[in-house]
Amino acid sequence: MHARMLRTLSGTLAVLTLAGCATQTLGPANPADPWESSNRAVYNFNDQIDKAVLKPVAEAYAFITPQPIRSCINNIFLNLGEVWSFINSSLQGRHEDALNTMGRFLLNSTMGIGGCFDLASMNGAKRIPNDFGVTLGVWGVTSGPYMVLPILGATTLRDGTGKIPDIYFNQYGYGQLIQNVDLRNSIYGFEVVERREALLTVTDTVNRTALDPYSFIRDAYLQRRRAQVRGANTEAQKLPDYENFEDVPADDKALGITPKP
Amino acid sequence: MITFHRYVRVLAILLMTSCVFAGTSAAQTKPDPNAAPNVFVQQVADLSLEALKNDSEVRAGNTARINQIVDDVLLPYINFEKTTRLAAGRYWKQATPEQQAALVKAFRATLARTYSGAMTKIGSSTTLKTMAFRGEADALDVVVRAEVVQTSNSQPIQLDYRLEKTPKGWKIYDINVENIWLIENYRNQFSQQISQNGIDGLIAALNQRNQK
Repeated sequence: MHARMLRTLSGTLAVLTLAGCATQTLGPANPADPWESSNRAVYNFNDQIDKAVLKPVAEAYAFITPQPIRSCINNIFLNLGEVWSFINSSLQGRHEDALNTMGRFLLNSTMGIGGCFDLASMNGAKRIPNDFGVTLGVWGVTSGPYMVLPILGATTLRDGTGKIPDIYFNQYGYGQLIQNVDLRNSIYGFEVVERREALLTVTDTVNRTALDPYSFIRDAYLQRRRAQVRGANTEAQKLPDYENFEDVPADDKALGITPKP
Repeated sequence: MITFHRYVRVLAILLMTSCVFAGTSAAQTKPDPNAAPNVFVQQVADLSLEALKNDSEVRAGNTARINQIVDDVLLPYINFEKTTRLAAGRYWKQATPEQQAALVKAFRATLARTYSGAMTKIGSSTTLKTMAFRGEADALDVVVRAEVVQTSNSQPIQLDYRLEKTPKGWKIYDINVENIWLIENYRNQFSQQISQNGIDGLIAALNQRNQK
């Protein structure tokens, strides 16, 4: 069954890669995205599937389910993910993050009724999302080219590799705890719908404001991953330096404004 | 079902009005650009949240109205010109003053549209809380960190503001949502458009987006 799925997937990939050759890249070549034309093809494919299936189903789910219940279910899935975040924070040597994550998991699983209520966030301990792609980054692996995977979406060569242990632990690992195959598959399906629902506002905003949603998502993804690899503590000091693209304008000089070094 | 909706709406109105009364003293404080940056951001955020929350047209998603509120309430505290100039990067100088003005206007309208999406989600309980300012006292370019709390049982959204000190006090010119800086995120899109269709093409593309 797995072998068949893999064959179908690789077949789809090959078709998409070929289709990608026909797609034009927009604007100047981006060094972070050398595979832009095939990425755009996969992006368009994902977008079609999303428009046809995922988004309508997620919207239907949002329509029939009251917000408090959706929050609860979303929190339960996020709470299960904390164990893997904890392992990754530990692997990265971010022991304070690891401790916070474990504390959150214990509190929310018990007092928060299986993670339904995010009591830890209410008490100021925010979720620290983490995964194996970030771990590889902290260990010194560079991100590699940007990639768009079928269904899974935005990633890089490094983060896509990291997704293998991520999915093995979070989806396959937890899945093995459920003996009933039908139930297990239903939960997998439900998780997809639930994750898409949680993103509805984000994707609406992107479609509303982006000039080119593909670039918008790519640049947002890469920015966010860089920040995650750098870690929360250094994030505040690491500001984008926009001035290196331009000289300090004359009027600002006259006003005595100098960009901070 | 209908009665439930009506009940929720009445409850929301009650909560909102109580918020207005509770927030009167805070909301009517005019933001002081010469205060500490985090105090200034808090004041601007309170003022705009209040203006947006209490407007029925905004809640219905009326983009024109949101643009108008952004212009009336927020504009004095934001340096949109700088935001646009930095997003355009090296292309900015190639633009004529007329093109620059048109680009600023078009980009501002685009950014106001991000609000119209967010506004439908803003409830009476939505608040923004700024963190203590950790930068140096004499800094001219600073970041103020904040959090938006929407409902009690969801993750707060991390929101950072980047400000510059001008002779007239602080002005906001960039924001960061969940580790993503706005200007940085528009740079590639701007350069794509400009290299393909020129600055007028970019302005046209932004305006076309704004009409959708």
